[in-house]
Amino acid sequence: MTKTIAIAGKGGTGKTVIAALLINLLSQEGVVLALDADPSTNLNQALGLPLRDTMGRIREEFVEEVERGRLPPTVIKQELLDYKIRDSLVESKRIDLLPMGRPEGPGCYCAANYMLRHSLDQIAKNYDYIVIDCEAGMEHISRQTTRDVDVLLLISDPTIRGITAAARMRDLIGELRTKVGKICLIVNRVKNGLPLEIGKAIDDFGLQLIATISEDPYIADLEIKGTPLIELPQDSPLQAKVKQVANSLGL
Amino acid sequence: MEFHIDLGPQYEGESIRKEDFYVEFGGSAVKYKFERATLKSPEEVEHEKVEIIGSDIKDLEEGGSYPLAILIDVAGEELEPDMEPVIERRIHMYSNYVEGLWHMAQRNDIWLRLSKNSFKKGLNSLREVGEIYNFLFTSEIPQIEKIQTTFITDEKRIEELLPSALEVYEARDARARELKDEDVDEFYYCVLCQSFAPTHCCIVTPSRLANCGAMNWFDCKAAYKLDPEGPIAGFPKGECLDPLKGEFSGANKIVAEKSLGNYDRVYLHSAFEHPHTSCGCFQAICFYIPEVDAFGIIHRDYGGVTPAGLKFSTMAGDTSGGKQVEGSCGMALELLRSAKFFQADGGRKRLVWLPKEIKERYKEFLEADGVYDKIATEEDVSNTDELVEFLEKVGHPWIKGEVELPG
Ligand SMILES: Nc1ncnc2c1ncn2[C@@H]1O[C@H](COP(=O)(O)OP(=O)(O)OP(=O)(O)O)[C@@H](O)[C@H]1O
Ligand SMILES: [Mg+2]
Repeated sequence: MTKTIAIAGKGGTGKTVIAALLINLLSQEGVVLALDADPSTNLNQALGLPLRDTMGRIREEFVEEVERGRLPPTVIKQELLDYKIRDSLVESKRIDLLPMGRPEGPGCYCAANYMLRHSLDQIAKNYDYIVIDCEAGMEHISRQTTRDVDVLLLISDPTIRGITAAARMRDLIGELRTKVGKICLIVNRVKNGLPLEIGKAIDDFGLQLIATISEDPYIADLEIKGTPLIELPQDSPLQAKVKQVANSLGL
Repeated sequence: MEFHIDLGPQYEGESIRKEDFYVEFGGSAVKYKFERATLKSPEEVEHEKVEIIGSDIKDLEEGGSYPLAILIDVAGEELEPDMEPVIERRIHMYSNYVEGLWHMAQRNDIWLRLSKNSFKKGLNSLREVGEIYNFLFTSEIPQIEKIQTTFITDEKRIEELLPSALEVYEARDARARELKDEDVDEFYYCVLCQSFAPTHCCIVTPSRLANCGAMNWFDCKAAYKLDPEGPIAGFPKGECLDPLKGEFSGANKIVAEKSLGNYDRVYLHSAFEHPHTSCGCFQAICFYIPEVDAFGIIHRDYGGVTPAGLKFSTMAGDTSGGKQVEGSCGMALELLRSAKFFQADGGRKRLVWLPKEIKERYKEFLEADGVYDKIATEEDVSNTDELVEFLEKVGHPWIKGEVELPG
């Protein structure tokens, strides 16, 4: 059974770092599909992987080919898209990366999205874990796959805005087609313990706090050098906490 | 038959990751690759022969990507040339039946991977893959009396043979385009767009592709097979009630059901009376021009206006939403190729205005109908008066009354 974990939250709160570390950790247990659902596609850098085509580019190219009537009538378009999506996968040892790229522009994407969902669902079946790095909330991803999410990790910084955004993302899930199992909150970049006000806001919103992560002394240096973030030393707070979260979720 | 690995449909879903393949053939990393099935006379086929031109798997370096051509030659009294593409598609299916062999796509796009596991089990030669093909093809398709399989891994040879394969594919496409409503018993419907237009239901037939242009009869057939409960499904076309207008009892029934009872008849090949509904996804609109009693087409990407001064977006607003609008039909541009393009109304011969880009793109078909140089574009006219003048000047056959409506 494939376990699907989505990571969402306000901008700049550490989603990509946490996603990368979790992907790296889970790849010791099984084969992981890393889905980058952020149009700015930077999960690959955090993982130290190259970038190929994105699903968004493939979709645009397909719609353009259809518009121009360039596709042969008997080449089944579903199969063509299956091939292109499979080909855009960045394959590494235990981790494959699929960048979703930009969401669709104006125009008709009913058929394209329908077929792409099928392609992605087919691919996803082959993995032990799928980890999705979202742009903010889960809207983009829920249009692109019919898969349900087992665990949603909401990431926030210790700010009321971050916690409110997390609560809003949880509340919006009801409007998406994606079903979500467990929803947990991680408060990242905490200095000197969780402020009381933040703790109260978390309770008031009824969010389930699974971990707090303190400022990481190692990460700034990696960011400056552009080193993959998965190379954080094992005693880094981020590494340690991500491991703890994975354990407590039974991943 | 004894093989080193197991065979069966249970292996169809398996995918082979980069880390797990011994070698791969084709795919985007390789320039020359194709597969082709050819119907031959019995003398030309040496039954159950397998030939390898170039290196075999065991001679290739592990982890590499290599060129490949797969040639399946068959003979049999009951085989018809029409079956070539069907047999060719079975290469995909039967390859995926092989434990540890993975096959994607078709024609000159093929991509195969052989797993390290199956290589270790002894599947280290294309000869065995050929024997498996020969075995599966003859046991599953009884009309095949003789079969021989050739693998080419020699890049130069593949490069030499590729052009002739491309010609064959093209000829097949040309034949597929000639498939007509009367040649099949099953039509398809697509309700993917009902989230925007709840009463819209695209009827897809060999002569009419979906309004969005992304789903033709072949695509729908494949989609239905993949997801029989999905938004795209087949139905028996039923009785042909009007061959010219394209009215079928089966299509009427589906439209009644899927339009929530809003419509109970549809003419697939006429813009009048019971025209096809339009979603919001159509690529173009075929619109009636009352001043000349003829039609024009405007497409989504055209930024200008029609002779009546209307933009695509304005017209789309009146056409879309799952309604049957007489004289204003959403359509796929490729419908312009169809021999049944609004045939009941006079077809392409009744077209008097097109955006230049579209007129050029479908030149061949317009020329065949003798109207290419009679149709006005935005470069020739900018209002309806000028259109009337233009059509009289060039002597458009419809305006001159030379086009007879069929039936
Ligand atoms: N615990 C931490 N200690 C110190 N710096 C951190 C910590 N977590 C994240 N950062 C830094 O915060 C910045 C934002 O992190 P990241 O890119 O992972 O956030 P994000 O939520 O993915 O952002 P976006 O919304 O832009 O995608 C990065 O520079 C990262 O190095
Ligand atoms: Mg990010």
